[in-house]
Amino acid sequence: MPLRAPLERRWLHYAFLSRDSGQSVIANLSALGPDGDGHAPHRTTILLVHDREHGWHSSQFNADRPDHPWSSFRSPHAIGVAGDFDVAARTGVPAVKLRLRRTGRPCTSQSAAFGGGEHLRWQSEPGVLASGLVRLPGIERDVELLGYHERVRGRWSWPALGGWVFGFVNDPVGRSDEPPPTAVVFTLIQSRDPRAAASGSVMLWRRGRLVRHFPRRAFQVAVHDVLDRDQVVLVPPLARALGTAPAASVPRRLLITARSGSDRLLLDFRGSTAARIANPCETGLPAFSVHETLGACHVEGVVAGRRLDFQAPGIVEFAGGTGDADDH
Amino acid sequence: MTTDTAGYTGARLLADTIDALAERAPAVLAAAAEQMRGIRLGLRFNDGSAVSLTVRHSRLVIGPAAESDVEVAFDDRAMNLLFDLQRHPSDQVLPDSLDVRGESDRVLAVWRAFSLLSQRAAGLRFVQGLWRDYRHHRPQLWGHAIPAPAPEPDASEPGGWHALDYLERRRPEATRTDDETRVGGTVTTRPRLLWDGRDSTPWWDELPIADADLYDTMKACRARVAAEMTRLVPDREPRADLYSLVREYPARQGKGLRPTLTIAACAAFGGRPRDAVRAAAALELFHNGFLVHDDIADESTHRRGLPTLHARYGEGLAVNVGDALNLLAIDAVLSNLETLGLARTLALIRETLHMCRESVEGQAIELGWIHRNAVPGTDDDYFLMSTKKTGWYTCISPCRIGAVCAGVTDPRVLDRFDEAFRLIGIAFQIQDDLLNLVGDQAKYGKELLGDLLEGKRTVMLIHLLRTVADPAERKQLTAILGKRRPDKTRRDADTLLAAMRAAGSIDYAVDLADRLAARGIDHFERDLDIIPDNEGKAVLRQIAHYVTTRPL
Repeated sequence: MPLRAPLERRWLHYAFLSRDSGQSVIANLSALGPDGDGHAPHRTTILLVHDREHGWHSSQFNADRPDHPWSSFRSPHAIGVAGDFDVAARTGVPAVKLRLRRTGRPCTSQSAAFGGGEHLRWQSEPGVLASGLVRLPGIERDVELLGYHERVRGRWSWPALGGWVFGFVNDPVGRSDEPPPTAVVFTLIQSRDPRAAASGSVMLWRRGRLVRHFPRRAFQVAVHDVLDRDQVVLVPPLARALGTAPAASVPRRLLITARSGSDRLLLDFRGSTAARIANPCETGLPAFSVHETLGACHVEGVVAGRRLDFQAPGIVEFAGGTGDADDH
Repeated sequence: MTTDTAGYTGARLLADTIDALAERAPAVLAAAAEQMRGIRLGLRFNDGSAVSLTVRHSRLVIGPAAESDVEVAFDDRAMNLLFDLQRHPSDQVLPDSLDVRGESDRVLAVWRAFSLLSQRAAGLRFVQGLWRDYRHHRPQLWGHAIPAPAPEPDASEPGGWHALDYLERRRPEATRTDDETRVGGTVTTRPRLLWDGRDSTPWWDELPIADADLYDTMKACRARVAAEMTRLVPDREPRADLYSLVREYPARQGKGLRPTLTIAACAAFGGRPRDAVRAAAALELFHNGFLVHDDIADESTHRRGLPTLHARYGEGLAVNVGDALNLLAIDAVLSNLETLGLARTLALIRETLHMCRESVEGQAIELGWIHRNAVPGTDDDYFLMSTKKTGWYTCISPCRIGAVCAGVTDPRVLDRFDEAFRLIGIAFQIQDDLLNLVGDQAKYGKELLGDLLEGKRTVMLIHLLRTVADPAERKQLTAILGKRRPDKTRRDADTLLAAMRAAGSIDYAVDLADRLAARGIDHFERDLDIIPDNEGKAVLRQIAHYVTTRPL
């Protein structure tokens, strides 16, 4: 379906981590409805690569992208069949040339309605495998990555949406061509208008299959402390040159407890570094910020009578929090 | 901190806490002192130790037990709860745990002061560590009511699966061991819920922080800026006659006030501390360049406890080193282009030029007075000179430059620093001048009475010549002031100091500095209310109060 209205959006998001958390790749391919009849939709693509030794590298919002990006939501792929995913900054670095493979089944994380008729639908798929090349200035690395893919569609604007907290973690043990034994994805939409429209979910996959969905009444999210601002890097590079206004501090620790019947789950995330993506906002000049936070995650609990307990690198996204975006 | 177990008494703990707060969070002490003004407090602890607590200017002064207006005796339960990390400060009181005697209004004032001390200081990591240390070494002072750790939750239990419960009790964060160059993180905050299953609190709504640890922040800022300065000074020839000498003054580290103001102002506006480090290093290079030239102009013999550069290497080399420091500083400001971008770098150049212009104008005013053997008639003349000569580059410009590093370039916002830090800067300069007369040379670093030998026009000197009525004495004082520095003797300096003491000029200056600082603090709270209460602003607040609690 083509996008028609100015605030209609379709985002494809990709996030991968190496099993030793040495490399992380995040890409966002977004499409925004046209400004009016006869106009084309806006398309932006940004690629972020974090390397433990060399820190964050980012393209601008005009990264080269595939015409038909790999996505099980757009055109379903069979499990185990690889597809190309090549994204690169116009300057050539950073760049990724990856082959992506599904290992499990995607599922809807949530459908949220807020503001004046605004809404979004969030679909998630953990356990995506990626192998190929990552290119940074003067460096080229062969990588084997494990990660996550999502599609978010709907019609929303800021400040009505407010922000969100979302994250995922895959248990990295086991064979590299198999789905992770366990994966957790959570979403929390913190709509500003109306506040009561906040919604969220915590979902648990086991060997590629969704086994538990904790609805919004069944979990809590708490944060503690803030990430050292020196560990937060503003991207894309143009945002630094333009002197983008500061955003709120990113929480350093995030803890989720979920409980449903005799099932319980605890996710304890400690952030270590973040890239703050300053997104142009269609409804005003101030940027809207998304913080891609990398860190260590500990998951434990009992679900369907089976204990789980693992530690793994994870990514948590804190979106919103640009003070001046409140003034729209 | 006390090292022998016998020294771990209640009285010593209070004294150590007050000392730590004077150095680390003077705003907390100033607030408590404000409540206790005019009250003599006696404190006795259940280990038999006792002290008195009084207020002098804005300082809390600990002394031996003496006659008091209010007497407080703590038993072990009260000690257990006061500053207890496990409990909320408002839960401190137990029936019959505290014995407090005195007039009711004074008792209430003391209670307010201690509430302020406990509530505001309890979040500082250092104070928590201090009290933990005492509690570890002398547990009997507290009794034995340390709560047991919470049990692991049971899946079948209906409650006990709350996110906050984990962050606060079951899996609290271990004491942070971040490296010393980290800026921030000197206070602990409470965990908070973003989602409890029904209500949402935005993740970006940060908890306000009113106080921070100035000492640790200064240490971190000093270290980072010193490393940056080292990086900025070239390692090439001519080493012996230029670049080695260029490193001399920066290596004689000061308190780190300017680097801290610059970095804290950047953090206060939500910027990254890292983004302000190079600008702070540039300010330090300018400052050291000014000092080299200033020492030559003033014919000073010592700087930060060592001979001045010109005294050691001659005036020719020293002048050239001062020029080189200024050049390196300009280079450092310009090099922000690659990290901060064009807009912020242009604003930095503008701020730096303004700062330099103010400094040379202030220097000209003071040197002109000395050259003509004139002493200004009013304090306002001194305020103008002091603000221009040192106020801008010591206080006002570091704040403005830090804010620019965070991306603030609107003059209406930057100007909000001016009046607060103008007043605080003058108060700070008066205090510095007082320390030259009555301070401890080991702590002060400069030669004592050096200001009198070089004829510096201080508030004390202006007050003295305004006050002395006897024409003969005035003539004698003017004649001393008219001598060139090499011709002045220690006896001349002692004569001036004795006259100042007799005229009440020292006490006048102490009182004036206090009043100016209080006005500055008032402006700080009003003019800068646009900045939310965060750790960066909390550090600025501590610096604003630093003047009032600095020991004389």
